[in-house]
Amino acid sequence: MRDIALITLGLAAANIAIRLGGYYLGAALPQTGAWARGLKALPGTLITALVTLQLINGGPQEWLAGAAALGAAIVTRSLPLTMLVGIVTIYLLRLWS
Amino acid sequence: MGPIMQFTSGARDVLPLALGAALYGLAFGLLAAQSGMSALQTGVMGATVFSGSAQFVAVERLAAGAGAATALIAGIALNLRLLLMTASLRDILAPRPFWQKLLGVHMTTDESWALFHGTRAKGGTPSYWYLVGAGACMMVLWVASTTAGAIFATALPEPRALGIDFAFTAAFIAILRGLWGGRRDLVPWVASAATVAGLATLTPMEPSWALVVGGMLGAIIAGITPSDA
Repeated sequence: MRDIALITLGLAAANIAIRLGGYYLGAALPQTGAWARGLKALPGTLITALVTLQLINGGPQEWLAGAAALGAAIVTRSLPLTMLVGIVTIYLLRLWS
Repeated sequence: MGPIMQFTSGARDVLPLALGAALYGLAFGLLAAQSGMSALQTGVMGATVFSGSAQFVAVERLAAGAGAATALIAGIALNLRLLLMTASLRDILAPRPFWQKLLGVHMTTDESWALFHGTRAKGGTPSYWYLVGAGACMMVLWVASTTAGAIFATALPEPRALGIDFAFTAAFIAILRGLWGGRRDLVPWVASAATVAGLATLTPMEPSWALVVGGMLGAIIAGITPSDA
């Protein structure tokens, strides 16, 4: 019980420090040049890293569903539709395997 | 668009992601109840920590018999990516008073943040309040679902059985499509993916560290590439 309180408090404090610290770090960096280009590219590279990790943790079924989702994303450019195609594809692949 | 319109459009746009997160929230509530957490403790944790992956890992470690310190460190390590995420929000946070900065960074989750950048890349003009609206919608559903999971900790659907576990991968792929800015992005993105893949499969590095290293390396490459290349 004491552990739960400790972890909640610790994680909450750490998260606020990390979230706020990130902002101040970004704000302290130069607004032009290499730093600015790097920060601007960060959302894309970080989400790419996230998707790569998720696909590595999966297998061929996840890779196929990922390809289907990418196809849907390119054609529809719609977030809900891409999610729907990805979920239905993985559901069917798992059903048939 | 005024603040209220921005807030509601952020909340509306994030809804498919928030519903996916809510299914995980139910599963987290179940785990929390099994670890001896009350519904109130689960709700308080959801609102104050507000990070699904860190909560999952910390409580799972605790349930597995690891000490509080180990559970805490695992949760914190997983959240280092938040540092990189809020670093990219300076243009909307800088003009705001401190309490709004605090609110804005607390409302920054994988989903609200990625949606914000995705909407901007698609040519929209999401404001500070768009991010806060998306984050608030995520929080309401996250707190409600984790608390509900802790209360009704029986006969809940398993996300994997429904394919819901893939919802986030698909969502991030959709957002990446929007963020794609042409050939300039190719090398940084490939470098990021290759780094994560290499580190996660060939080294014993914690995946959450591999994620941060890959994302940063890609950004560094983008930074040192001259803008007219």
